[in-house]
Amino acid sequence: MAARRNPRLPLIWSAVLLAAVLLAAGCTSGGRSEGGGQAATPTSAPAAPAEPLKVQLVATAKVPPGGLSAGRAARRAAPGLERFLDRYLSAAYVNAAGGEAGWDGLLGLFDAPVRAAARKQLNALSLGEAAPTVTAVRPGRATAKAVVLYGAKRPEAATVRVAFDGTADTAQGSGPVHLRSVLQLLAAGDSWRIAAFDSRTGSAR
Amino acid sequence: MSRRGLAWVAVLALVAALATGLVATTSPGRPAAARAASAGQVVTVQRAHAGSATPALKGRIVLLTIGSDSGAPRFGRGGSMESGRADALQLVIIDRARRRGAVVSFPRDSYVPIPGHGTSKINAAMAFGGPRLLVATFERLTGLTIDYYALTSFDGLTDIVNKVGGVQVNVDMNLRDHFAGAFLDRGRQTLRGGQALAYARARKTLPGGDFDRSRHQGQLLLGGLGTFQRQVAEDPTRVMAWLAVMRDEVRTDLPFPELLRLALLATTVPPSHIRNIPVPGAAGSAGGASVVRLQPGAYSLFARLRAGRLS
Repeated sequence: MAARRNPRLPLIWSAVLLAAVLLAAGCTSGGRSEGGGQAATPTSAPAAPAEPLKVQLVATAKVPPGGLSAGRAARRAAPGLERFLDRYLSAAYVNAAGGEAGWDGLLGLFDAPVRAAARKQLNALSLGEAAPTVTAVRPGRATAKAVVLYGAKRPEAATVRVAFDGTADTAQGSGPVHLRSVLQLLAAGDSWRIAAFDSRTGSAR
Repeated sequence: MSRRGLAWVAVLALVAALATGLVATTSPGRPAAARAASAGQVVTVQRAHAGSATPALKGRIVLLTIGSDSGAPRFGRGGSMESGRADALQLVIIDRARRRGAVVSFPRDSYVPIPGHGTSKINAAMAFGGPRLLVATFERLTGLTIDYYALTSFDGLTDIVNKVGGVQVNVDMNLRDHFAGAFLDRGRQTLRGGQALAYARARKTLPGGDFDRSRHQGQLLLGGLGTFQRQVAEDPTRVMAWLAVMRDEVRTDLPFPELLRLALLATTVPPSHIRNIPVPGAAGSAGGASVVRLQPGAYSLFARLRAGRLS
């Protein structure tokens, strides 16, 4: 049987296709119409792909007389400090999302005499009690400035100012997370321990 | 269905689709979270929090600070610090849990038993057997266990004070001491290295002699603590600067981790919580030499310290 071409069919199909496209568009961007008058700020930018955490460290060193030059000591100490800060920020933010990981990994980075205080102040040191509501943390800027006390052959202690900015995704939307800390570090073998801290987190910078 | 009918169906479908789409995105039945998430909204994930902590250390620590009269080439003092006489002697006792303490200043001429060396001026103990014998002498005298010692020289004290930018001290009398080079007016002021050393050494022109001198030495220690705290409050990296100075200018058997923890603890101990206590004594003589004989009050002070009473 020869098909009869209906001259209206292209119009009908076009309408159906348009309807389908509009339906799809309505499902994915309807929120735009909700932005006005609400506390939350609407944004049309899609979530940025997660960048790997990378701490940018600037270090200076105080060296004993007759030892390494300050510049060389700082360069030697920097990689270990960067690794430590990567571990800290990963445990405090990136790996803390969801809350399943717990805080033992983070608290293990603290010197024993300050660990109990750190446990009580996790909100000032990490995602804290917000962690269970966070599905993912996308690291942004992570910078640190360190003054390293260098001994005869190796670093012994350091004061580090850390600044971390990231974006945390939740079911409600996404929001910035910030950390501004001064960490007093004690060298422990090839790594470090936090011997004291003064830290702020949250949206306030 | 007619062509016109089909066209109307298509238009109706379009309207229905549009309506359905709008309803789907605004329906109160849809979880708000999902709606917001699909909108890519910026939300407050974490409220602002602030916190800080220094090491929570238990128990008491007793540190003997020693100023040697040797090992200072710039002052014409040869030999090693450890083989000299101890001209400045303070027991620094810190109750680490309560964050209180005492600086107990001993006259260098205190006439006391020295293990294996009879009775002599306490400052001779280090010349007889180094810092360890001096520590043993103090332990026998006071009944306290001395955990660590810290030793420096004239050069060391001068350099420490200069390198940290001066130490603020409340000078408690007008000083015109040519012997020590101390020319200071009464009042709170920042002493440079040479002035601090002179303040710590001045004795001959002071009304209380050795007692005034040992009290001034305690004031210098407490002034150093206050200066340290003010600097660290302004710039936390100053902890490393002070530790570097101590590393370069002080010999101690205090392990570095303990030194760091104590330094961090010290940032939170108000100087007003540390008493400067001169050990009671009276001028006397022994074998033709002028000495200080400790008074009964000294031994009751040691008993109170042993009992943990620092106030």
